[in-house]
Amino acid sequence: MNKRPDERVGGIESTATGSPRFATRALKPTRGGALVIGRLAEHGRANYQYRADENASYYVKLLTSRGAKTLWGKDLERALTSGETRPKVGDLIGARRAGRETVTVTARRRVADGRIMTEEAHYAHRTRWIVEKVQFFAERARLARRLRDEQADVRETVRAHPELKSSFLSVRAAQDFAARRIADPKDRERFLSLMREAMAASIHRGEPLPEVRLRDPLRTQEASKEKPRPPRPDDPTR
Amino acid sequence: MSVTSPLPNSHEILADAQASEWLKWALKSAAERDPIDALNDALVLAATLEERLRREFDLR
Repeated sequence: MNKRPDERVGGIESTATGSPRFATRALKPTRGGALVIGRLAEHGRANYQYRADENASYYVKLLTSRGAKTLWGKDLERALTSGETRPKVGDLIGARRAGRETVTVTARRRVADGRIMTEEAHYAHRTRWIVEKVQFFAERARLARRLRDEQADVRETVRAHPELKSSFLSVRAAQDFAARRIADPKDRERFLSLMREAMAASIHRGEPLPEVRLRDPLRTQEASKEKPRPPRPDDPTR
Repeated sequence: MSVTSPLPNSHEILADAQASEWLKWALKSAAERDPIDALNDALVLAATLEERLRREFDLR
């Protein structure tokens, strides 16, 4: 049976019977969910909702100010172990749905001797999570404010927060683009304002900061020193 | 496999050198009150403190 892309099987993410395999297709950015704050009480692998007939998933149990709350999702394990602050049980943490990945699930049916009889692929969504100590989100909110502040001294801000360098470089690139391509000053301002706000919101949500990619001067030099290749018979004559 | 750590009871907290003096004081103070009223107030306190945390650190 073909499944709709938004169909959920086994909780947060869809899996299939047989031997499910996941292949990431695309990350759909969303505005992100609300930040759940609580004391990390427990986490681990379990069948979704602890039901024997459900698929393998991962849970994070939080003690919030409004009672115990359990989050479910396969990506929670990655978010907890590969995040920046790697929270431990007992820490005050924040958890946020950061977007959804479309994954391809391949269901394989096997016969008794293990041979694959049929293969069926369908699409499903997997929620991507950000799980960090709460201090991380406080710091990100501070960085987002810095980026939003158009009056701030950029050089001074980057000195204090070097992790914002790439974000400010992106803002400058957008300013250059707008100056060259957008004639109407009002449109230019609107474009820059939207771009700055989108970047600040992404930082605020806790999404990864863009990395600075500087051109390697050595490689550039070497490339320019490369000898010209010998002429080929099918090269153009002029 | 799960990672868990059960919440300590009040005796363990009072004996814990890492626990804050504020928490110890609150526990001792609560022990003298009606348990229903104390828990009810503690839940209101927790929700209020979360609101303060969200406001002060701009957490949304």
